[in-house]
Amino acid sequence: MQFVKMAWLDFKGNRSVYNFEELVTLEILYPFVTLIFYCITAGYAHQNSNIITWVVGNAFLLCTNICIFHLGLGFIGERYTGRICSIITGNLSKIIIILQKGFFSIFLSIFTTFFGFFMGCMVFGIDMKPLPWGSIVITFSAGMFSAVGFGLFISVFGLISDQMYMILNLTQCLLLILSGANFPVSQLPYIFQKLSYVLPLTRGISATQTMLTQASAKLPVQLVLGELLVGGIYFVLAALFIKRIERSAIKRGGIELF
Amino acid sequence: MMDIIRILSTTAKLQIKQSLARPMFQFCLLVNPIANMIFLYELYFNRDFQDFISYGVLGSCLMGIWSCICFSSIGDINRERHSGTLPFIYVAPGGFGIIIMGKILGNMILSIVTFAISFVTATILSGKMIVIENIAMFALSFVMMILCFVVVSICFSYILMLSRKTELYMNLLEIPMIFICGFTFPIEILPSLLKVISNCIPITWAVKILRMGVVETNLQEYLFHVVILLTQLFILVGITLVLYQRINKEIRIKGTLEVR
Repeated sequence: MQFVKMAWLDFKGNRSVYNFEELVTLEILYPFVTLIFYCITAGYAHQNSNIITWVVGNAFLLCTNICIFHLGLGFIGERYTGRICSIITGNLSKIIIILQKGFFSIFLSIFTTFFGFFMGCMVFGIDMKPLPWGSIVITFSAGMFSAVGFGLFISVFGLISDQMYMILNLTQCLLLILSGANFPVSQLPYIFQKLSYVLPLTRGISATQTMLTQASAKLPVQLVLGELLVGGIYFVLAALFIKRIERSAIKRGGIELF
Repeated sequence: MMDIIRILSTTAKLQIKQSLARPMFQFCLLVNPIANMIFLYELYFNRDFQDFISYGVLGSCLMGIWSCICFSSIGDINRERHSGTLPFIYVAPGGFGIIIMGKILGNMILSIVTFAISFVTATILSGKMIVIENIAMFALSFVMMILCFVVVSICFSYILMLSRKTELYMNLLEIPMIFICGFTFPIEILPSLLKVISNCIPITWAVKILRMGVVETNLQEYLFHVVILLTQLFILVGITLVLYQRINKEIRIKGTLEVR
């Protein structure tokens, strides 16, 4: 119960600066405009009628705002509010702190992604009745799981770096280019194709696109399991790295450096 | 007049130094255009080369400049507020407007680098030389585009002076403007309502005339677009001046420059 309470406090604290309209704009409207922008650009560039492929890809990418930026700046926020030293020297496991920061974010990302997908379908006149909703929920949830894991992994570097904005923007660019949201991964050079499968979302996007564009509409279990595995690895890496980075941060004495 | 030029050049020089020292600006200036170019190159991979230049290469250049404006020119007010220097430059004898213009000019000079980076990246990726059909037209369009971005930046800077949430708004401005002004696709494919909104924004016309510089264009059509752009800029300057008067009055009466 304490875990959920602290997770809620953190979630609320990060958004308390905004009023309701600003929050809706930031969490819902802005991602929606972003999705429409990328879908129109991809639709125009590819000149094909299969717009649902790009709606799916960009709906997945909507989670980057929450999973990459909000989570990634978690420790930076603590540094600004002067809590970072208490966190580092406190008894509570840093893993628990990281999990608290990601707990509500995963729900919000799932909601944002679904909302984006739903609205994208409405805007582009996609018939939603024949869509395999059960399988879509599974692939989206797997994608969000791995994206949150990745976001938490990146956030750990906030303990030793004061350049998190740059790291996070770079990460977002990598996801935009390598995830296959706007063009097929097979189009990329070989080395980037390999790299794209190390990143989260690639398999989730590919699984959903395969389901929606092929007549069988069967859930590509292998891709979904792969996505969950990638997410799990990032969670484990976050847990392993935090101990090491925590020690390094204490040694370097740069925990509170801006 | 000489005093104004001196203030402008000193502020611009200082701004260039300060901006270059910020990693986020370095990212916007150097990494972002490369990333945008790679993304748009892959997106326009199967389209003809002319479309790639018009929407891919120019799209990347424009996105680069717009990001620099969003995350630097518009955010400068916030940075001055955070460092406690906003009230000083606000009441400086040189004039707040001139100082802001100097800052925006400094950033604008730097952000021209994004054009060069995008063109070089596009040449490397495509393995083809990017030829500009009409150099004179392109050069004129380029100058007009810079002028347009300077005016728009000043207008946004003034508006955001009223808020402490500049960071939120500058983030919210980036993609919608790229979208509505048709940086990466022709606005003709947008629904009618969005097209009307798009046509009311000077940046849309700046983008159009810039695009006309890289393809063969009818001179009359080009001049028509230039006239629309200049008219809209003239109106925007008027709106900005009125806004400034109002904002200035509100700030002085309520004393909200630093606390709002």
